[in-house]
Amino acid sequence: MTLEVWHEQLRRGGLDLAILLSVARGPRYGLEIIQHLEEFTDLVITEGTVYPILGRLTAKGLLTAEWTAAEGPHPRKYYRLTDSGREQLAQMAAQWKEFIGKIARLMDAAEGGTHEDQRGR
Amino acid sequence: MKISEVGESRVRGYLFVLERSLRTFLPREVVADAAREVESHIRERLDQIPPAADERGAVERVLRELGPPLKVAQAYSLEMTVDEAVATGRVTPMARAFLHVATTTLGGFLAAVIVLWGYVAAAILFSAAVAEPFLPRNVLFTFDYVVPLVKFGYPEVPSGVDQGGYWVIPYALVCGFGILVAVHRGARGWLTWWIERRRMMQLRLIDVAPEEDAVEFR
Repeated sequence: MTLEVWHEQLRRGGLDLAILLSVARGPRYGLEIIQHLEEFTDLVITEGTVYPILGRLTAKGLLTAEWTAAEGPHPRKYYRLTDSGREQLAQMAAQWKEFIGKIARLMDAAEGGTHEDQRGR
Repeated sequence: MKISEVGESRVRGYLFVLERSLRTFLPREVVADAAREVESHIRERLDQIPPAADERGAVERVLRELGPPLKVAQAYSLEMTVDEAVATGRVTPMARAFLHVATTTLGGFLAAVIVLWGYVAAAILFSAAVAEPFLPRNVLFTFDYVVPLVKFGYPEVPSGVDQGGYWVIPYALVCGFGILVAVHRGARGWLTWWIERRRMMQLRLIDVAPEEDAVEFR
């Protein structure tokens, strides 16, 4: 596996979680979600790929979508987390933290010396 | 930024191609909603550009960042059609998903042909089981080959000697069901593998390098 493929897999793994997190504090519309992700992550997402993902998450019942005409000069489609979406987000976030915690411990161990060194301590 | 007639027609052209492409794979109401959302996005993006900016460059930049309409349509189809097929395994989403993959890649086309062949084989066996009591001459159960073989022809009567009689009914039902389950599971598994692969390829398109002539967004 090349480093490029590994990086893509890593980003892909975090994409659904990142999108769900961006609507965790309240409803947002598509462009707002994209700009929020760009502000906090290097998951630079082309607009063309984020809308289908939002559509899939909505079809799965993790998000609800509602058109609002009063908020701006153009109608906006706002996405908000459903109860099951909130539940799934909590589980995903917990698993993500657990995963990066384990990797961090592995990295610490690797930086601390070889396996044989550690066994000799 | 308010755009001129020229800019407006460019945006309309983009939306037209997007809508036409989406209609191939998705239900009408989903298409209308997706096109409306993309249009809203384009208008919002254009509103964020200072009025003094070069209009042509601004419109092209917004559309480029959105991605080619065909790619956007494929992304919608991938996420909504194929994902639903993988998640539910229901017949209509599976049919839509295979229509999508068959029209997207050569490998997808070949896979769709194999899957279709499997479903047709199962359907013929079920038809033979149902037809045996009513059209016994049209259903033939023979042991002339390595495995017991069911032949079904209508209105032509298949050639050969019928050796199995009514045993063709349970045999055809069991074989038909076995083939149906195997093909359906295989199709779902293949779609799961395919969607993962396509998403990986899409992510390669995600990085958009900032351009020298980029228009500043507020």
